[in-house]
Amino acid sequence: MVDRENEGTVTRDHASNISRRRLLSILGMGGSALGLATVPLARRGFAQPSKATVRYWASGTMTIEKFWAQLERDEGIKVVFSDNGNDPGPVVSRMVFGNANDLYDVGGLQGGAEKELALRNAIAPWDLSKIPNWNDVWSWAKEIPYTQVNGKQYGIPAVVNADSMIYLPQKVGKVDSYHTVFDPKLKGKTAMEDAWINSAIFTAIYLKENNLLKIKDPGNLEKDELQGVMEFLIKKKKDGQFRTFWNGWEQGVQLVTSQEVWVMTGWEPIVYAARRAGVQADYAVPKEGYEGWSNDLLLHRGAVDRKLSEAAHRMANWILGGYYGAALSKLRGYVVPTDHSAMAAAKSGGEFDAKVQADLNQHVKNKFFSKKGATHWQNVRPTHFQLYEEWWQKLRNA
Amino acid sequence: MTGHRRSVLLASPVVAVLLALSVAPLALVLLWSFWQWDPAIYWMRPAFVLDAYQSVVGTDRLIVIVRTARIALITAALALLLGYPVALFMDRFATARERTILMLLFLVPFFTSYIIRTFAWRLVLGRTGLINSFLVRAGLREEPLEWLLFSDFAVHVGLLASYLPFMIFPLLLAFGRIDRSLIEASEDLGGTFGQTLRHVILPLTAPGMFAGSLFVFVMALGSSVEVQFLGGAAASMIAIMIQDVIRVLNFPLAFAISTSVVLFLILLLIVGSRFLGLARLFASVAR
Repeated sequence: MVDRENEGTVTRDHASNISRRRLLSILGMGGSALGLATVPLARRGFAQPSKATVRYWASGTMTIEKFWAQLERDEGIKVVFSDNGNDPGPVVSRMVFGNANDLYDVGGLQGGAEKELALRNAIAPWDLSKIPNWNDVWSWAKEIPYTQVNGKQYGIPAVVNADSMIYLPQKVGKVDSYHTVFDPKLKGKTAMEDAWINSAIFTAIYLKENNLLKIKDPGNLEKDELQGVMEFLIKKKKDGQFRTFWNGWEQGVQLVTSQEVWVMTGWEPIVYAARRAGVQADYAVPKEGYEGWSNDLLLHRGAVDRKLSEAAHRMANWILGGYYGAALSKLRGYVVPTDHSAMAAAKSGGEFDAKVQADLNQHVKNKFFSKKGATHWQNVRPTHFQLYEEWWQKLRNA
Repeated sequence: MTGHRRSVLLASPVVAVLLALSVAPLALVLLWSFWQWDPAIYWMRPAFVLDAYQSVVGTDRLIVIVRTARIALITAALALLLGYPVALFMDRFATARERTILMLLFLVPFFTSYIIRTFAWRLVLGRTGLINSFLVRAGLREEPLEWLLFSDFAVHVGLLASYLPFMIFPLLLAFGRIDRSLIEASEDLGGTFGQTLRHVILPLTAPGMFAGSLFVFVMALGSSVEVQFLGGAAASMIAIMIQDVIRVLNFPLAFAISTSVVLFLILLLIVGSRFLGLARLFASVAR
């Protein structure tokens, strides 16, 4: 498949990505503007930036479209953005065996593929001394396990968030545990996402935190752990626990707004969409903890070979510098894990809403500091990912 | 140059294009299905192994193929049952204007996305959908019918809604080919409508019945949206299974599944040809 490339334009979008973008944009931060004031933080540490073009191949939701012009003004870096489809399998394949390293300089992918890509020399570690804004990244975001390989930082979290359950309080009361999804009293009234990447980890979190199954890392299940998790899910499916497994934004929203499902694992913006449709829905703060996820910046080995490492580092620093975060939050409702975006919004002269930005940052922080349970990070490439697929097939057939 | 040679020469470019577009990809799919997937390079290595086919059998993937074929067969049978009377009415009893209107009515839903069309059935069949709302409000049910949505029933409704016109239009063509004097002869000889239908119309429209059934069966066999939107929890079809496998880059397995399906279809055609005389029907269509 050939990617069409356009500066500042999403060129190819994966269905789930469209969904993410659309659902996150509903947070009420629409609108756009050009010619915003330069954010001084972005320039820190680089006196005379040289001009460069960086080809950024990432999840379609990571582009800030026309706001990229600010990066060119600040750093002399022109970004050519291409959507990678956000499907980890094909992305890893093209990185390791295909031509992605020839075509693109910086990548952006849901966390978990770093180890595999680093071991196969498809990506290079970031030199954090060249990214001064890294110092101000929220401390827990720096510690996302999959972003580091052998002590080196291979992934820089450009976006973080955490997912749990959407529920209808009038039907099921207050929900604070994943047990509700599996509660036999709610047989036929619950749902999960039709994707092992999310549903296996949610189930593993539930089983682990309630001491129902010994699990070390819900994001990277060993073979016997995976068997336990999937046999549990298969039994629940056979018992008729799930009304359906949902796919994509529209299906997720419709299930909740039609009250076809009373509780389901999924994305928080579905709650806002349901409320706008007049359905009282809430997002659970589960005692077992959230499924955290990040979209990480990756330095392609090809960029290093092409002497673009310096420019890539300047771009990464700029992305953490505030302007990008403010623009991304405005366009999509995503949060870059640093307070710089709030500072940039405050200094933007009204182009970005400082209060909305601060509230959004705090909202995401609260998820990670709820202290109700641990945050288990989503891992798009668990060690036994082929086995995950086989088990998912067994679940389908059950 | 003889006429036969000339016609062969004239047809050869078209035949070459057809071979390139249909046979060559199938041959490649067959070849690659025997290659070995190498996790070290995320790609296939040339080989002649049966690993992928063992996976088709070993992980219950055959169940999905059989289940999909069953759903497709039932859909084709239901489409024939529903489509035949409609086509008969349109051909025998409707005026030209009524026929045009009916054909348009069948076509209009296709002006929208098939995803939207399928999704709309959720609003009709759901717990709070049109049918359940009516049943509950009319006092016919205390609780909504759960099996209307996210069930095999819903999948068949979605498939029929999607593919019924593909049954009706070949049937209309078959009806159009019937020599009217044959029907008149039957009536002149005192044949009732039922007798004329049984002994004249049905045999003469058999090619259309077969062509329509084949269209619906093959299209239903390759469908996925109807099952994803309307089927039960994590329900599968062949297309969904191939998607799952491609997502983890196991290309030989995806090709092996595809090859198995093609072989299954060929087997069906052979059985149909031997026991149902389908080859003769094809010949009839060709004429």
